[in-house]
Amino acid sequence: MKKHSILGQALAATMLLSMQAGASAQQKGGDVVIGISQAPPSLDAQITSAQASRNVTLHIFETLYARDENAKPVPELAEGVTISPDGKTYVFPIRKGVKFHNGKELDANDVVASLERYRKIGASLALVSAIDSIKATGPHEVTITLKQVQATFLDNLSSPRAPLAIYPASEAAKEAGKIEIIGTGPYKFVEYKPDSHVKLARFDGYVPNPNGTGRDGFAGKKEAFLDTVTFRFMPEGGARTAALESGQIQFNETADGPTAKRLGSDPRFAIHKVVPFGLQVIKFNHAEAPGNDKNFRLAVQAALNMDDIMSIAYSDINQIDPSWLYPGAPFYSTAGSAKYNKADLAEAKALLAKSSYKGGKTTFIVDNLRANVDTATVLQERLKEIGINVDISIADWPTVSKIGFTPQGWTFWTHGFGIEPFEGPASVMAPWVNGLSQQAKDPVIDELAAALGSEMDEAKRKALFDRFQTHMYDNAVAMKAGNYGVFQISTAKLKNFKPYRIPRMWGVWLER
Amino acid sequence: MASFMIRRIASAILVLALVSLMSFALIWLVPGDTAAAFLDASATPEQVAALRTALGLDKALPLQMAEWYGRVLSGDLGQSVLLNRSVAGALLERLPVTLSLASFALAIAIALGVPAGVAAAVFHNRWPDQLFMTTALLGLSVPDFWLGLVMVLVFAVSLGWLPSGGFTAFGSDPLGWLKTVILPASTLGLVQVGFIARMARASMLETLNQDFVRTANAKGLSRVYIVLRHGLPNAMIPILTVIGIVAGALLGGTVIIEQVFSIPGIGRLIVGAIASRDFPVLQGGLLFLAVVYLLINLIVDLLYAVVDPRVRLS
Repeated sequence: MKKHSILGQALAATMLLSMQAGASAQQKGGDVVIGISQAPPSLDAQITSAQASRNVTLHIFETLYARDENAKPVPELAEGVTISPDGKTYVFPIRKGVKFHNGKELDANDVVASLERYRKIGASLALVSAIDSIKATGPHEVTITLKQVQATFLDNLSSPRAPLAIYPASEAAKEAGKIEIIGTGPYKFVEYKPDSHVKLARFDGYVPNPNGTGRDGFAGKKEAFLDTVTFRFMPEGGARTAALESGQIQFNETADGPTAKRLGSDPRFAIHKVVPFGLQVIKFNHAEAPGNDKNFRLAVQAALNMDDIMSIAYSDINQIDPSWLYPGAPFYSTAGSAKYNKADLAEAKALLAKSSYKGGKTTFIVDNLRANVDTATVLQERLKEIGINVDISIADWPTVSKIGFTPQGWTFWTHGFGIEPFEGPASVMAPWVNGLSQQAKDPVIDELAAALGSEMDEAKRKALFDRFQTHMYDNAVAMKAGNYGVFQISTAKLKNFKPYRIPRMWGVWLER
Repeated sequence: MASFMIRRIASAILVLALVSLMSFALIWLVPGDTAAAFLDASATPEQVAALRTALGLDKALPLQMAEWYGRVLSGDLGQSVLLNRSVAGALLERLPVTLSLASFALAIAIALGVPAGVAAAVFHNRWPDQLFMTTALLGLSVPDFWLGLVMVLVFAVSLGWLPSGGFTAFGSDPLGWLKTVILPASTLGLVQVGFIARMARASMLETLNQDFVRTANAKGLSRVYIVLRHGLPNAMIPILTVIGIVAGALLGGTVIIEQVFSIPGIGRLIVGAIASRDFPVLQGGLLFLAVVYLLINLIVDLLYAVVDPRVRLS
């Protein structure tokens, strides 16, 4: 007993000391330059769904609701919400005392103007399609009425894909891409040099969410310690690595495995694994033979060894996981997973024999991203063993995505889903609704997606998603190979960094 | 002189007309609906139709072509869909970056290439000749992107003398500009040194075997004076031609080097436009580069008369 007590005291003392060390280590000041692979197409957050834009804009702008660390919607600029019993009216009290970067205080008119602008020119209009009206019902209160019940409405409001960012009303009146970059976030816009960089500076008038207890996804308490954050556009991976090693940048947004391995043994750098960052999907074209044959699709699904695919395509940074949502997500499920990663050639041959496939050529379209080409190549070799002839056709992304959304010219197509599984079940189901991704309508999916949208009971919604996932496996609508991640590398002087969907520069500081 | 200029300008207009036709045709060479290529898969038919109207793709082909030429002649290269601004504005904004980089690279190529070629000719078949020509061949054989990465590893990562990338405008900080362009310009320029050196050597060798050089030698003039005063000016016409070609190649080379060194120039703009299918930028960028290339050629032609009074531009 005494021994336990001493040990406990020692442990408590150690924890206290380390907490104090952590607290005292927080330092304001310093400049961080982040090397990112693509330039943001726009900093008008509402009109673009590009990852490169999110990296920057989510430091500048905030939303009524935002996703927490597990992607659950939580209040950010709203204090909360009251939903009417019929599920159609949402009343949002807006936080008081929140300042825009131009000094203006946030009020209900700014929220109304911003959301109305999104309804006109937002990049993901589906997010706000259920809205009937948006009204300021008080200086700090906004009431949104929906045309019909939409269970995912708070998910939509908090989506980071093309964020429903809140602008000052004066900016929200402007056309797409013509706004002054003014938000309420912890960093304010300084300058944008096309093809070069975007520079942000700490907003000392930032009012953190009083309900936030710490860094929590895109929400929570956002404390900015750095003086400036610069996002430098560096398309070449080698150039980003060289810049990091020579001290020109302090953070590399994405590095390859060998580079991460090499710099991992160098004490000057810290390696951060963002896993999962996306899931690798292999699509079938259901509009054309042989992809329109369920037995053919099931044969392919039974044959594939996902360990082989993921270990080659995403060496050192993958997860073998059957769920169409990421681990930790509220609706995470293994439903239907008995058919995942079977690698059973005998079963595959039996299924193929039952199909209409008679040895003709199939076409695998793929863009020139190395991991996608690797996925196609491993699949090609594997399917050769059961007698399926796969021809790989490589082109750049715009060309491939153009073909992949038409009903002719392809059998297989692979790429990543990044933001969809993070956003939640509705976003994962959406690509298959109306046959968008498989090029042939699937009434079961359409029905399940509609039911998910109108069902307010969480347990029932989870059951609906389980049914969707089971349907995906039972019919091999498409295949999930696994989850993949990205390596990020920072200077070891950057403290308290935690990987997430974007390289968050709040809650971190530079050790001097 | 006047008739020469008129002939050159007329041929330049013809070339530009062909280039602009090819630029215009780009939009029709892409499979499928160009407007849809801009938008992601979730775009509604209304959004696609609105973009088709904005790009003028809903009009008849002859009308589109007439409008394209009309706009180009009035200096309007259209609006970039992705950048949400005028193509001409985007090009002009990046022009100083690319021009300063290419000019510096050209200066390096000339400053090293011409003396190396002259020295190789003067010391024909002796060790300086072998040394310079072997080095020139090596330079010609090295891909510029590889040389760029090696230079970054040596001078930025290992020695820490120079930045590994980025760009500082000359106007805001001349020393910073020098630091940021020295590696990319050296990369571009060194690859071209061999080309200029080989031509300078061949041209000088031919000149140094002429009768007037033999006469100058017989008169007892110094070797240096003969080479610099009589030899080099007479050997300049082929060297100038090569310099003109190199200047054009350097403009093309910036497309790769701007990517490697993260420099916000025209090359990077065009690469970005290809990747994002921003056709107005691509069309305008091609036309713009063609104009610059033609201007370089015109300047080289005019310089022939400056360096060699025997050349009659008429």
